[in-house]
Amino acid sequence: MRSWGRWRKRLVEALKHVVMGTITGLVFYPFVMLIVVSFKNTDQFMHNPWFVTFPLHFANYPAALELLVRYAANSVFVSGVSCLGTVFLAAFTAYVFARFEFVGRQFLFYLIISLMMVPGILGLVPMFMIVKRLGLLNTYWALILPYIAGGQVLGIFLLRTFFSAIPSDLFDSAEIDGAGDFRTFISVAMPLCKPMMATIAIISFHGTWNDLIWPLVVISDDKLKTITIGLLAFQSRFQSYGVAVTQYGPLFAGYVVAAIPLLALFLCASRYFVEGLTSGALKA
Amino acid sequence: MVDAASSTKADIVRGIRACRFYVYLLPTFVLLGVFCFYPPILGFLGSFYEWNGANVKIWNGLDNFAKMAHDKVLIASIGNLIKLATFTLITSITVPLLAAELIFNLRSLRAKYWYRVLLVAPMVVPGMVTLLLWQFIYDPNVGLLNAVLGVFNVPAQRWLNDPHLALYCLMFMAFPFVGGITVLIYLAGLNSIGQEVFDAAKIDGARFWQRFFRIDVPLVMGQIKLLLILSIIGVLKGYGAQLILTDGGPGYSTMVPGLHMYHQAFEFDHLGYACALGLALFLVIITLTYLSMKIRKPETE
Repeated sequence: MRSWGRWRKRLVEALKHVVMGTITGLVFYPFVMLIVVSFKNTDQFMHNPWFVTFPLHFANYPAALELLVRYAANSVFVSGVSCLGTVFLAAFTAYVFARFEFVGRQFLFYLIISLMMVPGILGLVPMFMIVKRLGLLNTYWALILPYIAGGQVLGIFLLRTFFSAIPSDLFDSAEIDGAGDFRTFISVAMPLCKPMMATIAIISFHGTWNDLIWPLVVISDDKLKTITIGLLAFQSRFQSYGVAVTQYGPLFAGYVVAAIPLLALFLCASRYFVEGLTSGALKA
Repeated sequence: MVDAASSTKADIVRGIRACRFYVYLLPTFVLLGVFCFYPPILGFLGSFYEWNGANVKIWNGLDNFAKMAHDKVLIASIGNLIKLATFTLITSITVPLLAAELIFNLRSLRAKYWYRVLLVAPMVVPGMVTLLLWQFIYDPNVGLLNAVLGVFNVPAQRWLNDPHLALYCLMFMAFPFVGGITVLIYLAGLNSIGQEVFDAAKIDGARFWQRFFRIDVPLVMGQIKLLLILSIIGVLKGYGAQLILTDGGPGYSTMVPGLHMYHQAFEFDHLGYACALGLALFLVIITLTYLSMKIRKPETE
């Protein structure tokens, strides 16, 4: 009897792994296929699209990179500046709200937080008109400024809660030692909230890197396109070579290239991110 | 006299020093004002105008809203949205919860960790790449799906080009419906339930499904509510996939209100009508969000 119970338990445990393994497999298969196809030439793709075929065509990558490097550089610049701007401004604003008493503090804070309830859809069309009137269409600023503005809201919310939990003695003692407001912020407050800032940085970078509709609306100059909309131009290029068949090899190599910066970012900071989420930064 | 004068002086200095906080907040509020507060206000006002973005801006009262009732494309898009939203809400709430339960009940800590990482990992793939990859999967000539079905002798389908299938194709793009972040949020909820609760259930002889429905589900209701709200907002305002893959077609079979708004604004220059559509969508989102927040909290707490 007892050994049957043990076997049953093992069987159930194995079954869980089978189910989870299948799910993860299904999640990953398209990406595995993406990488497999990215090493094929057209002939290999036509005859055997699903499995690895030799020789591997590494040349697909330089070919794709050449066309994508400009878009990728644009995206790195736009997302990088937006991300840094968002994190610094949000941290400083949150610090001011958490540390100092002034008339209208609660009101101003709730005014900012109320923005979390307004989905972007109401503002899309007017925002386009504003950016157009400011003469920012087809500039990096048309992306960066709205990204910083929008990204701050969640950041201020999360960081203010964080700063409020820090005993104010810590900041007081810095000020008694003669540090000004900025100095206290930079030397005392910022080092304390590094994990939180990393989480906000990732959320911001990931969001702006993937943003699709806004760049499509404000950027039409090919030289300024971000990677998301650049990929569309890239794709149509491979379909309009006059060849009957799309060249999937270099095309998919390009898709892989587009994922590399995010991969790098996540490898650097995923520890904070997964911990932050699981330990309840977003707990309801 | 001297004392009084110096104390008013000190007051003034203190007053000026207190003003510095507003200066600190100025950059934030300038940015928020221009890009976050002003657009919705402008959008609200714009809904009551006939507005082409250039020379025409005429007050037309509620005409834009009256126009919606006769807008055949809008009506078709609402039908599509209801189907899409129902399917997406059900799958995006339930499937990740089941996956989270599976991971939570694994015995090996290492396996728990790795499944978690693996499910979040696809986040590094840009959304656009995922979209284009699905375009390839659904490709009628060389696509993965037709190739797989061909093995079972199912005739090739036109998928996104077929007006009867296109909407379902968009629904299944989330396959296998296990969002990594959603699973993590559920796991956070399950982890915060005390071990003694599970022990008590075990002693009482509760079977897995009894425990699941009587303990786990009520205790992660907070997470379910949060995810419900996020999904509602996401699905109602989303139209990226439609914009890239189908442009609302074939016919209007995959049109959604968000995309309709986009077309009205950026293809036909009907900015006033587009603002009105945005406002209507916003009101629907706010109402549904409010209703989801009203879902009763479990009494167990």
